[in-house]
Amino acid sequence: MKKKIITVMLAVAMTASLLAGCGSSSSTSTATADTAVAATSAAATEATSEATAAATSAGAAAATEATGGMDATGKTFAIVVKSAGNPYNEKEIEGFKAVIEAAGGTCISKEPEAATADAQVSVIQSLISQGVNSISIAANDENALQSALQDAMNAGIKVSCFDSKVNADSRQTFVNQAGTQEIGQALMDAVLDISGGSGQFAILSATSQATNQNAWIDAMKSLMESDSKYANLELVEVAYGDDEPQKSTDQTQALLTNYPDLKVICAPTTVGISAAAKVLQDQKSTVKLTGLGLPSEMAEYIGDDDAHSCPYMFLWNPIELGDLAAYTAIALVNGGITGATGEKFTAGDMGDYTLTDAGDNGSEIILGPPFEFNADNIADWKDVY
Amino acid sequence: MAGKSGRTIQSVQKNSLKSTLLSWEGALAILFIALNIFNSIISPSYTVTNVLREMPKYLCEIFMLFPMAYILILGDIDISVGSIVCLSATMGCFVCNTGLPVGLSFLTCLAVGTLCGLLNGIILTTFTELPAMIVTLGTQIIFRGIAEITLGSGGSVSLKNTAGYNAIAGKVGIVPIVFFLVIIAAVIFTVILAKTTFGRKLYAIGSNRTAAHYAGINVQKCRLIVYTIMGLMAGLCGMFLTSALFGANTTTGQNFEMDVIAMAVFGGIATTGGKGNLIGGIISAFIIVLLRIALGQINLNSQLILVIIGALLIIAVLIPGISSSFKAKQKMKAVE
Repeated sequence: MKKKIITVMLAVAMTASLLAGCGSSSSTSTATADTAVAATSAAATEATSEATAAATSAGAAAATEATGGMDATGKTFAIVVKSAGNPYNEKEIEGFKAVIEAAGGTCISKEPEAATADAQVSVIQSLISQGVNSISIAANDENALQSALQDAMNAGIKVSCFDSKVNADSRQTFVNQAGTQEIGQALMDAVLDISGGSGQFAILSATSQATNQNAWIDAMKSLMESDSKYANLELVEVAYGDDEPQKSTDQTQALLTNYPDLKVICAPTTVGISAAAKVLQDQKSTVKLTGLGLPSEMAEYIGDDDAHSCPYMFLWNPIELGDLAAYTAIALVNGGITGATGEKFTAGDMGDYTLTDAGDNGSEIILGPPFEFNADNIADWKDVY
Repeated sequence: MAGKSGRTIQSVQKNSLKSTLLSWEGALAILFIALNIFNSIISPSYTVTNVLREMPKYLCEIFMLFPMAYILILGDIDISVGSIVCLSATMGCFVCNTGLPVGLSFLTCLAVGTLCGLLNGIILTTFTELPAMIVTLGTQIIFRGIAEITLGSGGSVSLKNTAGYNAIAGKVGIVPIVFFLVIIAAVIFTVILAKTTFGRKLYAIGSNRTAAHYAGINVQKCRLIVYTIMGLMAGLCGMFLTSALFGANTTTGQNFEMDVIAMAVFGGIATTGGKGNLIGGIISAFIIVLLRIALGQINLNSQLILVIIGALLIIAVLIPGISSSFKAKQKMKAVE
């Protein structure tokens, strides 16, 4: 009996502390909202940009100038990621938040309770209630958010997606981390560089139906045909490891057996590249590896010497992706862009970007060439994602 | 008629104001009012318009609360309902995308749900010795598996023609249509449980299945009916969820079974059977939904929201246990 009472008291105390926690967080968010409102009203009455600068802190004002005149004062920008506790998503949020806050805006970051479209729908509806100015979302399903995101757009909220897109009817624009052409180019140049300009290479892909991988491989093939500098390279086989570690390992072994003159394996899939890296390094093979991989999984295989199987590889930088998503959101809210193909805007110190046709009747903004991970920077990135 | 653990079924319900307020349902009603005041203090966005707009997705789940309450009162459980939602939504989308009239797509949702529920019921009533938890765990995996096979490699289907589904996702003024349907369903299910012989049979079976059998109640027929209704309502949930999501995917309806069971248990319906009523279940469902909406509006970490709801659930099952053991001690003292 006594135990039970103690349990109940503990439970009550826990709940009370939780509730106290949310009380304080709500008060801080109201406080930021208040300052933001104050700043806007000041701007409205004085009608000068100096007044806005004076109302916000000097640091923020300097940052606003640094971001190329992108001012987000008094506006609220929400970022919705795929799931909670995902370091890759956390880096995207970090980049997004830094840009928004430097531009004087308020940032709300939302991690849904589960990595499902259902959970993201609830999050979007909640953001509509709060009257945010913009929602940037990495979607868990391409079509399932349409109803909720259209509600948001009808309420005057600017909707853009990044990382993982929603269909053209559910968004104004899409911040794409991986332009097919850019990835194909980077991978071909890496193969050319690592092989020394000529020789055999093979591709280790995911499944034979994987949309992304097939698009990148096609881009590589068309580059080989169109540019004579790749003329001495020979693509001997595209192997499919189905994104399973064991099958990818087997396929790598088969490539090594079947092609004794093989110089380079290119694996444009995170599962494939880590499986191949392990095989090559364990066998002390002279065959080198490149492709798209996660720094955390690849750190022990990346290096310039013969002891490491992968000289360098690529992936996009999630922080920069978050940055660009934030600049895009600000440009949408300020009316700099509307989401139509062909529009241009300046994303602060990241330079100029153009909205291009995404091939699905919508527009997209391509982040740029993928980010290179090599022996010099892998130590900084391996703990990130 | 004394059931297991000394529970009794009263032939006449006491309805004095004092007993109403002291009952679990009374406490929930007070909590409901307090919660609304609390919510409007913590969240400036907590307005009637906003809450009603955020509600439809949660309302879909409440459809399943009613038959789930019946199942729990029977002393059974059904954890396959989330998968039934997924399967019926998937099939409904495919039928709609073939170009058949949207009404047929609605019917498909309901029919698939009903068939799934019927299958659960047939297995459980044919092999009465099987535990409901394990059987429905099996069908949970089977139903979602079939849905995943149907969905194919992309794992998602979207409606090509959304007009019909848009109609059922519509609103009357600011109130979503689904809200009215939930209220109508709530009244029907509550009246059946409280006022009909069928309802009394469910309590009798949940209190003591063997005694109910010897008293001439066709226990297995009742279970079959209730499981089939559960399937039907899961199909209805799938239909309205499709209207909110414009499609279905492999994660549609995931964990809905646990949400629904949590609402029922918080409403004072015992998982051991024979105890509780739907009024408590309905109030608690709205308490949980409104709490989630308000905590979402103040941007509380979504995992923390789950922790809070989990803690509330444990407190909810602790309190009746403590108060009854307290009463028992009082009685013992009086005897001494």
